[in-house]
Formats: sequence, C-alpha cells, structure tokens
Amino acid sequence: MNRVLHPRPNPIIAAMYTLRDLDVDLIILHGPAGCGFMASRRLEEAGVKVMTTGMQENDLIFGAEENLIDVLRTVDRDFTPKTIGIIGTCASMIIGENLDSAVRKAGIRAMVLPVDVHGCSGANTNGAIRVLEVAASKGLIPVHECERQKAMLTKATAIEKDRGITSRTYLEPSNGATKLAVALKITKALREGQTIAVTLNAKKETAYGFADIFRAVEMAKRKLGGRTVCIANLDRTVGLPRIRRYSEDILRDLGGSGITDIQITGGLDEYPIAGEKAADMLDAVDAEVRIIAGLPHSLPRLRRDDVLVTDQPRELRNYLDKGFQNSVGEISTHADVMSTHSIIDSELGNTIREVVEKDYR
Amino acid sequence: MRQIAIYGKGGIGKSTISANLAAGFAERGLNTWYVGCDPKADGSMTLLGGRKIPTFLEQKKEGGKDEDYSVADGFKGVKCVEIGGPLAGVGCAGRGIIVAVHALYKEFFDDRIDIIIYDVPGDVVCGGFAAPLREGFANEVFIVTSGEYLSLYAANNICRGLNNLGVDLGGMVCNSREVDDEESSVSEFAERIGSKLVGFVPRDRVVRDCENLGRTVIEGAPDSEQAKRFRRLGERILENKKKNIPSPMAPEDIRELLRKRTGST
Ligand code: SF4
Repeated sequence: MNRVLHPRPNPIIAAMYTLRDLDVDLIILHGPAGCGFMASRRLEEAGVKVMTTGMQENDLIFGAEENLIDVLRTVDRDFTPKTIGIIGTCASMIIGENLDSAVRKAGIRAMVLPVDVHGCSGANTNGAIRVLEVAASKGLIPVHECERQKAMLTKATAIEKDRGITSRTYLEPSNGATKLAVALKITKALREGQTIAVTLNAKKETAYGFADIFRAVEMAKRKLGGRTVCIANLDRTVGLPRIRRYSEDILRDLGGSGITDIQITGGLDEYPIAGEKAADMLDAVDAEVRIIAGLPHSLPRLRRDDVLVTDQPRELRNYLDKGFQNSVGEISTHADVMSTHSIIDSELGNTIREVVEKDYR
Repeated sequence: MRQIAIYGKGGIGKSTISANLAAGFAERGLNTWYVGCDPKADGSMTLLGGRKIPTFLEQKKEGGKDEDYSVADGFKGVKCVEIGGPLAGVGCAGRGIIVAVHALYKEFFDDRIDIIIYDVPGDVVCGGFAAPLREGFANEVFIVTSGEYLSLYAANNICRGLNNLGVDLGGMVCNSREVDDEESSVSEFAERIGSKLVGFVPRDRVVRDCENLGRTVIEGAPDSEQAKRFRRLGERILENKKKNIPSPMAPEDIRELLRKRTGST
C-alpha cells in the first residue's frame, strides 16, 4: 500500500460534515477539546452548533460517560435542538466509550445520532458512511439513499487513491499558475470565435465558488464573441435536501445571469460518477478550450492543455506535476462558501472580468 | 535500587508472593516499596493488617494532586501504594497505570529506596500494562506460574511481551497447584525460554489462614516452614545476577512438553 505522508482530513471531520448535510442542529464531539477545532469553526459558520465534552486525562482512565450525559442534557435544555449528532473521537473510542448507553441514560427529547468513529478508522469517507448508516437506522433518510451515497463515497475514495491526493506519498502545497495567463487564453479563444466548454464537477458547497466561472465566461462571450458550452453536476433532484438547496440556489443565480442552457451530469454529491458523464459530454463538444472546475481529476481523459481549477493546494501540485500547466487555485473557496446562499466571486472569474474590461491581450 | 515486576496469569498468587517478598525484604532492613497495580487494589492488605488503602487513581479522580498522595506504612515500614483503576467495563486501566507510574517516579521514588516490587495485573496485554517496564522503571521481571497449561501459556505470553520490549527476565517462580511433576515441568519450561526456576512455593494452608487475618506469612507465622521458603525465595531474587531477554516458545510446544512430562496420552 502507498504510504501517504501529507495530512489529510480524517473520518471524524467527514462525519461532522455529513451530519451538517443531514441538517442536524447540533454536533457533540465526545473527546478532547481541541479535536476537530478548525473544522468546527467552519461548521459553525454554516449554522451548525458544535460542542465538545472536553475530555481530560482522568476521563481516559475512568471513562467519561457522565460528562457526555451532562452535555447532552445541557444542550437539550439550553438549545432545544431537534436533532443531535454525537461523534466519537480517537480518545473516546480507544477507551471503549459506549455512546448508545449515554444517550439512553440522558433521556432527552432531541433525536440523537451516535456515531462510533475515530481518526484512525480508515479513509475519511468512512466517517461519512458511518453517519449515513446511523441516519438510515433511525429512519432519518431512506435506506436506498444511504446505499446510493455509500456507493458514491466508495467511488470517491477509489478516485482519490488512483488519481487524487492519496495517490502520492507526499505533495507539497502549491498556489498554481497565475490566473492572468489563463484568462488571456480564454479571451483570446473567444475573440477568435472558438468554443469554450466550462465544466463544473464540484463537491457540495464548493460549487458556490466555482460556479462563478460560468458567469465570467458568459460575460466575456457577450463582449468578445465565440461560443460557450456549460456542463455541471447541479441536478436539483438528487441528494439530501440541504444539497439540493445548493443546486437550486446556484441554478437560480446562473439563470439571473442569463445562463440557462446547462447540460446536467448529476447531483452535487455525485462528482465521482458525474465526472465520467462530463468527460463524455466534453468529447461530444470538442471545444478548443476546456475549463474544468471543482475536482478535475475525477474526469477521465483530461488533456494537458485543459484549464483545471480547484481549491486544494495539494491537488494543484498533483495536477502541475502531471503536466497540467494551466492549473489554477481558488484557495479561499472553502472558507468563503460555508455560510453563503448564492454564488460568490472567484479569483479566476474576476481576472477574466478585468481582462475583458481593460481589454488586455 | 532494584525494581522488580511480578507478572503471571490472573489468580496465580502474584499478590501473595509479592507481599511476602516485600515483608521478607523489610525484615532484613531493606527500604522496600510495594506497588499494587491491580484495579481491585487488595494486594497491600496483608502488609497493612487487613486495611484497604485509598488508591492513587481514586484520589486523583477526586482532584488530588500527585504530590499530595499519601503512602501507607505497612509491616516493618514497607511503603504501600495501590494504583487502582476504573470500574469494570469503563475507561482504560492501562492509561491509569501509565499515569500513576509516572507520578510515583516523579514524586516519590528516590535513591534511598533499596527495592521496589510492582505487583502487576495478569498479563502484558497492552502498552498500559507494560508501563512499569517502560523507560527502565522496572528493569527485571519474575513470572509466577504453576505447572498447569494455562498458567504456562500466560507465562509464555508475558515472555513475548518482554521480548518485544527488550526487558530482562530474572526467572520463574512456581506457585504450586499440586499438579504432577510440577517443579520439573516449570523448570524445563524455564530452560526452554532461556531462563531458570528461582523458587518453588508449595501449597500450604498457613497462607490462607494468615491472609484471613490480614497478615503475610512472614508476619503471621514467622517460624513456619512457609515463611522460611518465602525468605529463601527473597534471598535468591536478591542474589540473582543472571537475567536475560526470554525467547518465547510456540504454544504447541508447551502442550508437547507437558504431555511428555506427565505422560498424558
Ligand atoms: S488524536 Fe484523534 S481525538 Fe485526538 S485530536 Fe486528533 S483526531 Fe481528535
């Protein structure tokens, strides 16, 4: 097995995000206070309350069931959540904490989803799978939806291993090529009457950031000529309600900018399989310039001159090392999209706008 | 400062042997510590006239500071400490031992001590239970066993742990269960793993009688044959120079050894 040295998200974090996707009101991390700290901040921006039981050394030795019961009762009383997710952490799972028993003893009104997961339980997607299974067992989501998402997550893990961030022992983070070169390439092609295909194959909320490229290219086409084709995984009928809402928001905003002719490849939680459909559509179009935003490596048959846009610095390094010289980064995307309900400006989009306005060539 | 750890299968009599060894050392005027690591915390009772002392971890749980921990004075001034542990099925006893051993080392142990005996729970099942051996805290191990298969199997497993940790075995102690050919079986086992039998403790009801009164045999029946045997075992442990990392046997070979010795077919 390939040893991977750079830090990666762990199952604890994936489980937290999946609880958010299920619209739970509150997440309790049963573990040390600092566990999942950065992710917790982000999730709080997205409107989920995140709490910790703040385990200490004595809790490791004597168990911390009392703490958890106490926190459950406190949050139930003070915040009256409808649903609460409890996430085990390395600390509590290694000492064998019994989350179910704590929930039973706490006897609170909220529906509670206890998730036995820890940082050492394999690929991060395993954390998401655990949450889905618990949600299905509680009747919060249908079993077939759980199975569909599990299949998707397993596929995502395989793609990461095959072509993505876990395919290499170490990846040095990179900020990618400058956006100016790429923006000039795009505007030049349009001026020459060529076709630009813009493909969105993004993961959930990050689509709010990447979708801006559709708007910028559309604006450039109106000013300069040429032709555009839009392909996106924005099926508003697929996935959990929260995720469908994202598609709904983005399609509404795109419509507002006059972009309605979009070829749909699948839902926002389907990027592993939607990537294949997108590649087929791109083959059929045969555009001179192809832009692929989100997680480009989930598309097969990429061309070396494709414009690849992603938000992960290590993924950028991965693309550059493989010879994709037009790889550009939208590094701040993830932080910016957490609390939004509409498309946000991207750096590449803004660069295209500036190039068109100032008539750079 | 000698620091020895007594390992062996659960219920084999480690606490009896450890407490009597401690009493024997103290009687000779050695500055002796007894550290009980079993969560049930009754190993030191016979050194303390039947008194059960609060455990280190109990006091820590109630917010006590390491340095305030009280150490009990037992028979002939043996210093007694019980580490304690969580309720059954809760938390991590191994972590408790790690924390307690570190604290003892930092706050209580110094050069004036002649010998420390760690009475360790059953087996080296995880890193926590190996804590007394780590970082040279205890540098010599004695394994208590009988001639029964399960107890030799556990002894062999402990050797596996010592081998992994690179810790020396001082020898084996046979606490008799009165099975056939017991002394020679244990002796052969000891040789096969590259060690030796340092003592044979026969079964004697005086042990139970004294324990019921909350005393070691050394204290309760000082002139008995059993007391003499414990003293002799103590001497042989003190004099013991030869120690080495054991090489465990394959478990099938233990059965084979016992079959051959006892003539079972
Ligand atoms: S080691 Fe595990 S429990 Fe501790 S902070 Fe990291 S992820 Fe959390």
